[in-house]
Amino acid sequence: MKINIKKNKLPILIFLIFGIVPLFLDSYYLDNISYFMCWSFISLGLAVIWGMGGVLSFGQTAFFGLAGYSFGVISINFIGVPGVGIWSVFLALFITGIFGLIVGYFLFYGGIYDVFVGIVTLAITLVFETFMQQTAGPEYTIGVARLNGFNGMQGMPTIGFQDTKFGLVQGITQYYFILTLAAIILFALYKFKNSKIGLIFLASKEDRDRVASLGHNVKRVQLIGFVIASLLAGVSGILYTNWGGYITPSSMGLVSAALPVVWVAASGKKDFLSVFVGCIFLVWLSQMLAINGAQFAIIAMGLILVITTRFFPDGLILRAKNILINKIKWLQ
Amino acid sequence: MLFNIVYQFGDALSFLLLSAIGLAVIFGMMKIINLAHGEFITVGAYGTVVSGKVFSLPLPVAMAFGVLVTIIFGLILEKLIIRHLYGRPLDSVVATWGISLIVSQSFLIIFGPSYEGLQTPMGNFKLGDYSYSEYRVFLIIFSLLLLALLYILFMKTSFGTLARATIEKPEMASAMGVNVNNVYSATFAIGAGLAGVTGALYAPTMTIVPSIGQAFIVSAFITVVTAGASPFIGLVPAAAFLSTIQTSVTFFYKTTIGIVALLSSVILIIRFLPKGFSGLMERKK
Repeated sequence: MKINIKKNKLPILIFLIFGIVPLFLDSYYLDNISYFMCWSFISLGLAVIWGMGGVLSFGQTAFFGLAGYSFGVISINFIGVPGVGIWSVFLALFITGIFGLIVGYFLFYGGIYDVFVGIVTLAITLVFETFMQQTAGPEYTIGVARLNGFNGMQGMPTIGFQDTKFGLVQGITQYYFILTLAAIILFALYKFKNSKIGLIFLASKEDRDRVASLGHNVKRVQLIGFVIASLLAGVSGILYTNWGGYITPSSMGLVSAALPVVWVAASGKKDFLSVFVGCIFLVWLSQMLAINGAQFAIIAMGLILVITTRFFPDGLILRAKNILINKIKWLQ
Repeated sequence: MLFNIVYQFGDALSFLLLSAIGLAVIFGMMKIINLAHGEFITVGAYGTVVSGKVFSLPLPVAMAFGVLVTIIFGLILEKLIIRHLYGRPLDSVVATWGISLIVSQSFLIIFGPSYEGLQTPMGNFKLGDYSYSEYRVFLIIFSLLLLALLYILFMKTSFGTLARATIEKPEMASAMGVNVNNVYSATFAIGAGLAGVTGALYAPTMTIVPSIGQAFIVSAFITVVTAGASPFIGLVPAAAFLSTIQTSVTFFYKTTIGIVALLSSVILIIRFLPKGFSGLMERKK
């Protein structure tokens, strides 16, 4: 692993800033930033499948919920078993990945494209939500874990090792855990974007048939991209469940399905760093607006979206980043 | 008993048809993923109820007013925003989502969390042990008539030919002397107006809340997608198929499972009938 420091001043600077932020903030704000960062992975996943591959998926939320619920069911059932806080995470991600593989195979090998991918994935998300909402009764219990319908599931243990120095993923450990994970994933995504598969995936956005006629297996590459996106959504789902200690069906509704799309589009879907920063900024902004502006918050959010797509089709944060790099010589 | 099932089926059918009818133009023909479709219906519903209450207009006049308001609303949106998003279908998702947030929240601020509705017009009639609403039966017939009209408008008149040609090949139409912008505006306004009709028709039957449009949006999209490439031909069989599944599963299990079955069948239809019901019908010809 070699990082070219000269070429990557901006991302390194951003992560350094995030790294020293805990020195100046109390634990309430720290937990808040952890919460904002939880959402960046699902958005990064969407930036892979939509920004790179040009396939708009509303299914990210379904994978988010699936991972969250799987993590909850597994960890609650094996509570107290050594290391459950670690392997339940991997197991939940494995389940999410398998489901992503099945859905992706169904989509791309079934010849479903363009708008239809959006509709199918939205339908999958809504099936999940509708099903989970009606699981209030005691008959919907997996092992000892009650799904608990509309009110959601709770009581899962915290991720991490109980008796080691590293400790549980909460508080400041949670902050640095998520930040490190984000850095690793961003680095991996940049590698993926410049890999052979990544380039084929990028090209498939422009012209599927032409890339296929050059002898590349477009369907397989799209499937790989889709699974990566679903796994990233799963990471978000598990971190979210861990952060709040609960997961509800409404985290898979129509509104939740549209939110990542909105964040990614407004930030700039073609650039991972912009999506990461933009997602944190937009989740923070909607929270601030909700606290201070109350009823006008949603209108302000709507206006941001409309204005962004109308005047800055490449995304607000990406535009800001380009201006920053152009203006400040040192960053170039 | 038999009539009861037919009535339930017809009720579900007219709901699907009416929720989809405006979207069939905007999404089915113009390929704009209009997530604000539900809010167009909201505008129509509020236009009807508010004008009916404030000016105490008779219901049909209030409904006409609601539709008119929606058409004007649609025209303004088209001019300001939608026009710049033609050919960028994925961006239209974000912009129309933003519009839907703004509209529904504005209604919440202006009219409060719920607005006193109108009474359902017409009476009830009794058949066997059950009593049925005449208005619901009217809705079933009306939705089918409206669709027939729409089919004639887009398939048999010169405006329809113009609209379809413009959407298919805008450059070519422009070269033939067609004012492309006006055709787009008119088509979009028709779509918005139809959504307004849906809102106006359902306004007397529902509690008027700012999120009233949300009840329609998912049904609208799945029906239009199931209908396929020629929405006006495919809409009736698609809605009939979907409402059969929904009513029968709901009849044997419960409503939520009915919705799950509905959505699952849509997924399977897209997979195995990618051109929808209209594709199936055109193949048979």
